[in-house]
Amino acid sequence: MNSEITKKFLKIIVLILLISYGLDKLVFYSLNKISDKVMTGQAIGKLNHFLSIKDSAEVLVFGNSRANRHIDVKLFNNNSYNMGIDGIGIAYNSTLINTLSKTKKQLVLVHIDTKNLFDADYDGSDIRGLKAKYNRNLTITKALDESGQLSVLQKFYYSISYNGNAIGILKNYFKPSYDYIAYDGYDPITVSNDQKSMRDAFLSNYRDQVECKENHKINEIALGYLKSIAIFVKKNPNKRFIFITSPIFNDDCSVDNKILADKMLDLGLNYKDFSNLYKNNSDNSLWKDATHMSQKGAESFSKLLLEKYAHLLF
Amino acid sequence: MLFNSIEYLIFLPIVFILYWLLNNNYKNQNILLLISSYIFYGWWDYRFLSLIVFSSFLDYFVGMKIEEAISENRKKRWLLVSLCSNLGLLGVFKYYNFFADSFASSMSVLGWEVNDLTLNIILPVGISFYTFQTLSYSIDIYRGQIKASRDIIGFFTFVSLFPQLVAGPIERASNLIPQIENKRKLDTNLIKTGIFQIFIGLLRKVAIADNLGVYVDSVYANYDIHNGSTLLVATIFYAFQIYFDFSGYSDIAIGSAKLFGFNFNRNFNFPYFSKTLTEFWRRWHMSLSFWLRDYLYISLGGNRKGIIITYRNLLLTMLIGGLWHGSSWNFVIWGGIHGLFLSFEKFTFSALKIKTFNAFGYIYTFIIVLIAWIFFRAADFSSASKIILEIFSFNYDSLFIGDINSFVNALLLLSIGVLIDLKVFKSNVPLENYGTRYSTLKLSVIVSVVIIMLCLFYSSTENFIYFQF
Repeated sequence: MNSEITKKFLKIIVLILLISYGLDKLVFYSLNKISDKVMTGQAIGKLNHFLSIKDSAEVLVFGNSRANRHIDVKLFNNNSYNMGIDGIGIAYNSTLINTLSKTKKQLVLVHIDTKNLFDADYDGSDIRGLKAKYNRNLTITKALDESGQLSVLQKFYYSISYNGNAIGILKNYFKPSYDYIAYDGYDPITVSNDQKSMRDAFLSNYRDQVECKENHKINEIALGYLKSIAIFVKKNPNKRFIFITSPIFNDDCSVDNKILADKMLDLGLNYKDFSNLYKNNSDNSLWKDATHMSQKGAESFSKLLLEKYAHLLF
Repeated sequence: MLFNSIEYLIFLPIVFILYWLLNNNYKNQNILLLISSYIFYGWWDYRFLSLIVFSSFLDYFVGMKIEEAISENRKKRWLLVSLCSNLGLLGVFKYYNFFADSFASSMSVLGWEVNDLTLNIILPVGISFYTFQTLSYSIDIYRGQIKASRDIIGFFTFVSLFPQLVAGPIERASNLIPQIENKRKLDTNLIKTGIFQIFIGLLRKVAIADNLGVYVDSVYANYDIHNGSTLLVATIFYAFQIYFDFSGYSDIAIGSAKLFGFNFNRNFNFPYFSKTLTEFWRRWHMSLSFWLRDYLYISLGGNRKGIIITYRNLLLTMLIGGLWHGSSWNFVIWGGIHGLFLSFEKFTFSALKIKTFNAFGYIYTFIIVLIAWIFFRAADFSSASKIILEIFSFNYDSLFIGDINSFVNALLLLSIGVLIDLKVFKSNVPLENYGTRYSTLKLSVIVSVVIIMLCLFYSSTENFIYFQF
């Protein structure tokens, strides 16, 4: 390669780096501006909504889709929010819990899924769901840096923070999915007549399935995040924390539940396992599928939660 | 090492800089390329490097022996050594379990129970590609089309050159060895076209194909609960997923090779813009289809032995072509469908004395290709049949969308991919040369836009579909 070609090559590379860097910042800051105004949609809107009300809400619920679908938070207090999000795990929740104000008195309900905690493959990658707030929220940035879940390229190309979400943000910016002011984060599942027969057939097969692996071990990464929540709980006497596992259709394996209950006790966390709450109830209308309850099941469960924990409300 | 990994992003510039620092001696460059290629391959599993070394050594030696043989018989015997060894390795590593399992199943049908004969064998990445490459070398020498290489490092580099090692394009010795055994030059055109093609390839693979794959995987994993419209859309998505995945891979391979001064042959030429299946096969995975034509179809007699033999040869070539992709009856059926329709076209063209179909041919070709893809994608024959029956029941209810974000992203990226293809196709300039149309500044802007699109839309799928073959 002669010197002229070398110069040409370097010129192209330098130009690409400079232009792409500039373009990236333009896209990133534009998306920041837009996304800050988005309050609907699971990816960004719900997170923005949560960050805007987290220090004023009286009751907060954290967890995955089961928390989102199972806990009617309005029953506890009108000023409350269910921050359950589909497909996320304890890394995401732990980070958000750590963003809560120290002074505000709140009841915090954390949904813990045994499946998530005992999953040997769990790597904490659900924390990437918060990457839109990287470099924009101190607690979240610190947690993302410590997680090692971010691409090394993110330090150079900030717009990676919006990977997979850009279209959703634009859509919710121009056409919000719902009225967020009236939204409390709880998304019950209604089961249509068509779905009922499919559900019944599915549940009848599911009844016989027993899955109980030997040598249950809590995933170390998940445990690390659980400990981080436990530290936050100890440092924040202004808040009351309840940790629960909501009902599941057929949990014949109690080994993991027992290990988890012992671990929660060790960590000094107030935990109650409701996995088998409806085990002896043959009413399929309580369920949408084997993992999620229907609106009917969720409302019945939420009432039970309220009866049990009403005394903890501030 | 994957083209779409951070490791490759570091590996490529390092090898590039070292390579051009050795500019005054192409033999030293070859040594560097060989070592780099072995590192590239060994990143996946260094144990299987021994297979590449063995295959390279065998064909280097056999190639010379074929050339030196004084009689036709001796030539043939040495060629057989190459064929048996290469195909033997491929047979053991890729097809042993398939044939053992099929044998046990057929015995069981006859009432004889056979013990499990399958072995725990890992399929070495790229074995189908480099086996075909080394085979073509021996056959070309046997046919007197090329001279045997006497440069062992050069030959080993030919077999293992990292841009094309694991998933092609299957380069012919007649194209690549002369480039390896001579001084390479890098010029502005190679730089521009190389960089352009690498980034277009990344866009095709990491953004378009991988986003389409999210929907395809979710539907095909639970095909039995989805309706005809959902299965149809998933199959159309798959047709584009596999195209953008593999053509994207080929683009990165060809583009990377250009940065080292090599010109690889074209591997894709907008296959879905084909009016006949015959044309499709001149545009799809061209390095494989031309290989099958030159070394299998023509060796079987091609179209020189009468109409019946021609159809037989076509069918056989496509069945073997199907089996080349993987050890499953679904791939054989996929090849069979293509073989049958290629024969049908040959018959129709000869009976009607036409050379191609009219504009409806685009739809006809896409439908046949689509049906065949179902066998390619489905886990087994039973699921493929059920999917086809559901699609052709024409009972189209509401479409399953799944995660709306993923679905919209997939649709948007698919549209972008098709529009880019249409623009390049209409220009009559091959994608391989397209980068030369732009000034340095314009090229840098285009590549920068692609980089931002990758940042916004990359999907976390890691592997290329064709790695499994």
